[in-house]
Amino acid sequence: MSIQDEARLRWAHLQTRRHFLKSFSAGIGSMALSSIMGPTSLAGASSGPAALDAFASGSALGNDPLLPKTPHFPAKAKHVIFLHMAGAPSQHELFDYKPLLQRLDGQQTPPSLLEGKRFAFIRGVPKLLGPQATFQQHGESGAWVSNHLPNFSRVVDDVTFLKAMHTDEFNHAPAQLFLYTGSPRLGRPSLGSWALYGLGSENQNLPGFVVLISGAAAPSAGASVYGSGFLPTVYQGVQCRSDGDPVLFLSDPDGVSRDMRQRSIEAINEINRQQYEETQDPEILTRISQYELAFRMQMSVPEAMDIHTEPEAIQTEYGVEPGKVSFANNCLLARRLVERGVRFVQLFHWGWDSHGAGESEALTHGFVDRCRETDQAMTALLTDLKRRGLLDETLVVWGGEFGRTPMLENRTGQDNPFVGRDHHSDVYTMWMAGAGVKRGFTYGETDEIGYQPVSGRVHVHDLQATILHQLGFDHERLTFPFQGRDFRLTDVSGRVVNEILS
Amino acid sequence: MRFFSALVLVLFLLAGCNGRHVDFNAEIRPILNEQCVACHGGVKTNADLNLQFRDLALIGGESGEPAIVPGDAGSSAMVRMISHSIAEDRMPKDEPPLSEEEIDLIRRWIDQGAEWEQHWAYESPARPDLPKTDAPTPIDAFVRDRLDAEGLEPAPEASCAVLARRVSLDLIGLPATPERMEALCTGGDYEALVDDLLADSSFGERWTALWLDLSRYADSKGYEADRARSIWRYRDWLIDAFNADKPFDAFTIEQLAGDLLPDPTHDQLIATAFNRNSMTNEEGGTDDEEHRLAQVIDRVGTTWEVFQGTTMRCVQCHGHPYDPFVQEDFYASLAIFNNTADWDQPSEEPLLLEFEPAQAGEGKRLEAELAAAHSELIAFVSTPEMMAVQAEWETQLDNPEVNGRLLNTSKNEVLRIAAIPVEERSPHQKTFIRDRFADAHASTEALRTRRRDIRQALFELGPVQTPIMRELSEEKARVTRLFDRGSFLSQLEPVESGIPAVFGETDGPMDRLEFAEWLVSEANPLTARVAVNRFWEQLFGTGIVETTDDFGTIGLAPSHPELLDWLAVSFREDHAWSVKGILKEIVLSATYRQDSAPSAEKLAIDPQNRLISRGPRFRLSAEQLRDQALAVSGLLTEKRGGPSVMPPQPDGIWKNPYNGQQWVTAEGPDRYRRAIYTYARRTGPYPAMLTFDAPSREFCVSRRIRTNTPLQALVTLNDPAYWEAAEALAFRMEQAADTPAEQAVAGYEMALGHRPSDAARATLASLAEETPLSVVANTILNLDAFLTKE
Repeated sequence: MSIQDEARLRWAHLQTRRHFLKSFSAGIGSMALSSIMGPTSLAGASSGPAALDAFASGSALGNDPLLPKTPHFPAKAKHVIFLHMAGAPSQHELFDYKPLLQRLDGQQTPPSLLEGKRFAFIRGVPKLLGPQATFQQHGESGAWVSNHLPNFSRVVDDVTFLKAMHTDEFNHAPAQLFLYTGSPRLGRPSLGSWALYGLGSENQNLPGFVVLISGAAAPSAGASVYGSGFLPTVYQGVQCRSDGDPVLFLSDPDGVSRDMRQRSIEAINEINRQQYEETQDPEILTRISQYELAFRMQMSVPEAMDIHTEPEAIQTEYGVEPGKVSFANNCLLARRLVERGVRFVQLFHWGWDSHGAGESEALTHGFVDRCRETDQAMTALLTDLKRRGLLDETLVVWGGEFGRTPMLENRTGQDNPFVGRDHHSDVYTMWMAGAGVKRGFTYGETDEIGYQPVSGRVHVHDLQATILHQLGFDHERLTFPFQGRDFRLTDVSGRVVNEILS
Repeated sequence: MRFFSALVLVLFLLAGCNGRHVDFNAEIRPILNEQCVACHGGVKTNADLNLQFRDLALIGGESGEPAIVPGDAGSSAMVRMISHSIAEDRMPKDEPPLSEEEIDLIRRWIDQGAEWEQHWAYESPARPDLPKTDAPTPIDAFVRDRLDAEGLEPAPEASCAVLARRVSLDLIGLPATPERMEALCTGGDYEALVDDLLADSSFGERWTALWLDLSRYADSKGYEADRARSIWRYRDWLIDAFNADKPFDAFTIEQLAGDLLPDPTHDQLIATAFNRNSMTNEEGGTDDEEHRLAQVIDRVGTTWEVFQGTTMRCVQCHGHPYDPFVQEDFYASLAIFNNTADWDQPSEEPLLLEFEPAQAGEGKRLEAELAAAHSELIAFVSTPEMMAVQAEWETQLDNPEVNGRLLNTSKNEVLRIAAIPVEERSPHQKTFIRDRFADAHASTEALRTRRRDIRQALFELGPVQTPIMRELSEEKARVTRLFDRGSFLSQLEPVESGIPAVFGETDGPMDRLEFAEWLVSEANPLTARVAVNRFWEQLFGTGIVETTDDFGTIGLAPSHPELLDWLAVSFREDHAWSVKGILKEIVLSATYRQDSAPSAEKLAIDPQNRLISRGPRFRLSAEQLRDQALAVSGLLTEKRGGPSVMPPQPDGIWKNPYNGQQWVTAEGPDRYRRAIYTYARRTGPYPAMLTFDAPSREFCVSRRIRTNTPLQALVTLNDPAYWEAAEALAFRMEQAADTPAEQAVAGYEMALGHRPSDAARATLASLAEETPLSVVANTILNLDAFLTKE
């Protein structure tokens, strides 16, 4: 019997005894219990200083802020998996095929295209750079996909491409913050936090907003891109890790067996229950339930994170690398988590900042490696979700924080040692799939060299409004009062892109 | 419930009583804020109508008709619009109509003259009369007067052990020592205990924790690479200031404008690091001027929030949606802070350099030499010949060969200035572009090299570097302009520095020192109230004004307005701004000393304890939790001050791109320092702190929203830092008694200062029979009573 099975058995044994729920429900009567377990609606928690009060004291009154809540209107998406390619992948080598750019390769960029433009690194007059890839059309939809994504090209008919995405920011940290929090500065709640704040979680034994990170570094803006900002900290993303503790401090200390931990929590809650009877402070009841939950998480999180239990064929399909930190592992974990009711799974895979300043940043080297690391797994994720009927209720989003220039980067006024492109915020490609998003569809168009939009522009705030819409929210009404005003994810703008919804 | 029915009854009576005076603040302003000003106020003025200010409302909107005719509701357009019979034409547009009662209130208020009363917070507090009760202290008189009205009795005094623990955690952030506890419980004098705690040098550390959130203190600069910043001297300045009981007026002035005081001391300069805690963006390609302004904007917002409980940030882009501030007011404040020498540079200059005594002489010499080398460079480029060269250089900035020598991050500002005719440039723009020319032009290379070499020699001496405020001289002064819709790229007319009109008139422009002096002057209605409210919140868990960050019209109304004003006046006058004095006044009150267990009746009538019908009972802060665990386990290192330290934290928390800085776990005494000394990195906050609601310090945070989560249980159960404390406590327990059951009881007493109840003793005893002592200790350190201030 594995340690986990043993722990589960002991837990079951424990449940039959006189502890935990039974004892505290007897202690406080059914009133508090029902208010802890009962459904809550968003209505009372949406605006005005009263919302803050509810949170300041909510747990004490038994309004567990993580219980499932009803959104503004019926949701198409129960879950979101956001595959973030941190560093901003080049659309010119993946989806936005421009034969003219190929023909103009190596030519000086006409000055008219450079006027009034700011670049992070490009100096003076750069050369145009043709796509470092070959392209073909795929599927019934005829979507263009490059040779770097041979697997993904098979599932393009499940996907909507947004080809004229644009953002306000052209540096990594602010652009990532902008994408996830609606503001380029630190301190606002992230998309996943808003989703959890609005909808609660369907599985109280797992964190409702899970973050999985692969690649050589964490996202540029750090934990703030999955932070809860001014929302209560219960809504912040919890990073689950495939090395070390899957959740920080989940493992018992060395030398403490599950049995000891169980006895210990039993004693804590027993004494806390006595304390409650003496002081009548309802906060103690919340604490009792949180200690139970912590104990359950100690088993349910490792169980959810254990990809070894997946059939061999599935592991092969994703290309997982057991024991390592990899994007493929994280894709499989993402499926396991949404299957268990986790609301929002945020993946970050770092290393797409293809400036060409070094080999790892070259479109011909590092970039190709990143494609190889992600192509099979993200395809398997879509296929697997679809096979299980989960794609209908799970919104999958892929993209970076901005796009890249059609010009070759010349950091010092001279060409970089490797082939690369600079940051570009005016236009880039993202894709979405599942949960009421059109299949085999492309929205937005760019000019002949993929430099400027021609039609179908989608701003980051529009993307956020659309994701919230699929989760059942009017983005203008999902608000929280802070520093004297009601804040929302989309700040003062945002339009639901109805054109891509089926 | 009872309160609610009473309210309904009162409203009912009011509605039926036409002659009664309508209270603008209580009855009309809420209607305007809720129903009108979103479209006719600071953010939008649809139909050119603004209902935020009386004079504008009387003028009316584009129709030319006055919205309000004082004394004549019948002729007031507003009344007609809100009671229009056709739904499409009725206000509020596309919303449910106002109720009959609301319309009637507005009608009567206009008939009575439509007076606009000032929001309470903008009127100076006057010392209120004490209610007639037999309460032991003035604070108790106000609290009991309110309790009487609700038919509630105050709670009896808490037991000596609970009270000693409470007041010790509150004043010094650590549990009461056994000696102090015993002294109080063997008939000792409570006031003597309070005096003892106020004199304890741990006092400063506890109150600094509050100020670190407000000043958004961190040991890193923020943004992508989030590199290290050396600013711990400011944290130590706070500790010393609280310990020395620096009067709050001086405390305020030195932090905001210590550099402008005559012959400022090192300490007064360090104090100004308060506003150098804003974030610096070092990422490639960023625009230094944009991020310099972002820092100044943050300083304005922070200063208004910390000292005035006023939300000024929204006024960057438009008039305040609710409060009497117009967009110009924000820029008048911006102008006060916009003239400092820092400009979002990785070096964080200006810096205060402090040397080891042995190096001080050499340091001073090199600093003088550096200044001389810089002057020489500037003199060189200021000759008419070089000015001509500069003019020529400015015309060639399109050339990558030329602009490639400029710092990428300052290039944009240089180009913007170059586009302005020389005679139209501000003093700052002239000197800025001259200095960048000096930094970049080939002719200055020898002078620059010399300057760089001296600078290098200076920094090789290893001084402690602290970023501080320095005001620009007249020769370099900036002109602040209004930004169109808050964007710095679109600047309009110049703005003079000053304070919002609601606070009265000032003569001419105002610098930071004058502004700081105004904050602590008698003319300012907010500073003392906002400060005492913060102290109160720290002790009672909720402020008298619950929204400690917002005393404006949509902040929550004070639960005890007279008490707030009495405390504010007492703080300023009786205690002459002594923080220790006002804290002592509060903790000596019977209100503070009440037992915290509520009765069923109190839970029903006063569930949140807003009436303070019992003592405070709430979870300890992240800092108190760590410090308490270290203290009761005997691990705590009582070293004060110095650079921040790195106690154990899990691997992989720090993983920033483009920054190889490592978390190097401390061994020895630095492993067990108080929480305020833990290295605070904005993008990788210390997990145990974050989990217990500590902010990551990007911005000023006035109020931590307390949560209660399973992740918190995992921290105190399993975090190696807490487990080490459990093991150390177990060791002490083993020394203290012979049998496991007795050892468990001893552990409980060490943790909480009193004997466990019989039931708790039985539970702990049976646990001690079955599990190792460290698990028993860990259990005790996770009890609700231990995690909570009772």
